[in-house]
Amino acid sequence: MPEPTTFEKLDARARMVLPFGLTLMLVLFGMTPTHIPGLAQITPMYALIAVYFWSIYRPDLLGYGLGFFIGILEDLLTGAPLGVGALTILLTQWVLFNQQKFFNAKPFAITWFTFVLVALGGAMLKWVFIGVIDDGGFTPFGHLFASYLITVAVYPIIAWLFAKAQTGLLADT
Amino acid sequence: MKQPTGQISRLGTLKYLAQRFAFLSLIGLTFALMLIGKADTVLVERARTAVNDAVTPILRVMAAPAATISQFISNLEELGAIRQENAKLREANERLLQWQAVAQKLENENRQLRGLLATVPEPQAQSVSARVVADSGGAFAQSLLVTAGGRDGVAKGQAVMTAEGLVGRVTQAGYRSARVLLITDINSRIPVRVGEAGDRAILTGDNSGRPRLVYLGVTSAVAPGDRVVTSGDAGAFPPGLPVGRVVVAEEGNTVVDPYFTRDRLHYVEILDFGLSGILTELDKAAK
Repeated sequence: MPEPTTFEKLDARARMVLPFGLTLMLVLFGMTPTHIPGLAQITPMYALIAVYFWSIYRPDLLGYGLGFFIGILEDLLTGAPLGVGALTILLTQWVLFNQQKFFNAKPFAITWFTFVLVALGGAMLKWVFIGVIDDGGFTPFGHLFASYLITVAVYPIIAWLFAKAQTGLLADT
Repeated sequence: MKQPTGQISRLGTLKYLAQRFAFLSLIGLTFALMLIGKADTVLVERARTAVNDAVTPILRVMAAPAATISQFISNLEELGAIRQENAKLREANERLLQWQAVAQKLENENRQLRGLLATVPEPQAQSVSARVVADSGGAFAQSLLVTAGGRDGVAKGQAVMTAEGLVGRVTQAGYRSARVLLITDINSRIPVRVGEAGDRAILTGDNSGRPRLVYLGVTSAVAPGDRVVTSGDAGAFPPGLPVGRVVVAEEGNTVVDPYFTRDRLHYVEILDFGLSGILTELDKAAK
């Protein structure tokens, strides 16, 4: 096999950071104003969707370190208490990394259903921690639940896009 | 992923231990950050403003398509109802002209009376317009990022308005960006006056779209439809900025519908009245 050229090396590197890059893009996308009435208060938890997807399909490319970084960035950008987003992501990763055998070659419906459970855990964790840090200022439960439902509903779209990116750009790595 | 067989089990164990160690230390770090965030707000605030300043140019580009689409859609909608709109505007115009006459008369009278009393004039507001490039979104925090910061004279504590009414106040001011805490955020507290009687209360957000009035006097007779304006207490905002309208007035539960429309926030105006404001001090004390 010939030695890879500089361009090939760069290309391979770029592909390796794809999951991280796409996750960052999604977090920023979640912050752009959509101007759709009523959506702002229940924006889906995009970071959780992205981390869930990559933790199942490419855990080697989005480990704890990057997960932590994304969580902290999300906290800093959204103005949420620092550390809560990172904690949610780390615990999600921990659960999924320990269940890799379960997800092996499972159909989409199963991974979606599991997401329904994982996202519920993530949303509740965030709700409790932010409430405690804000000295008992708990977000109304209805809003939390609406945000959770929309997160679950959006999951297939994001997963489909990510799967396209994965099969197109990461298939041979 | 594809390791040759052989030392794989030892390598695997080592990798597992390293991962476990990374996980536990990062968990420890998040808890440490939570404590730091609670104790030393200055440090965290500096980190936040630095990140906001860095990301705002990217968000600015990303926000453009959505803004264009929403404007296009609203243009189409307006086109459909243009006749009725015109009739309505003509009628409104007539009514407003009458009000203008009244206002001019009152203004003259006011000036004369002030002159008689030798009142010190109120401070004039300097204002900066800024584009909204990010809405924190989600159920947990209600804030905006706007494209004006310290270089434009924006500072912590300033009031943020649209033509409709009060939107919130600046909680962090970076160099080219600032964060605006909406009046609907769970951490927002605004001293207000309600109705014609001008009863004092504190407008408290709860992360829903409709903030509540607390510390309303027992004798106050607040009814749905009453106007809510800033009171100017605590020196945070000047008095009289329009905030919203009371929609529910029950015993112990008074809900206000803000005048501003969140999904139509494209530009906001940041007002500087030269008031230092103690709300920021209150924040520090609360944290």
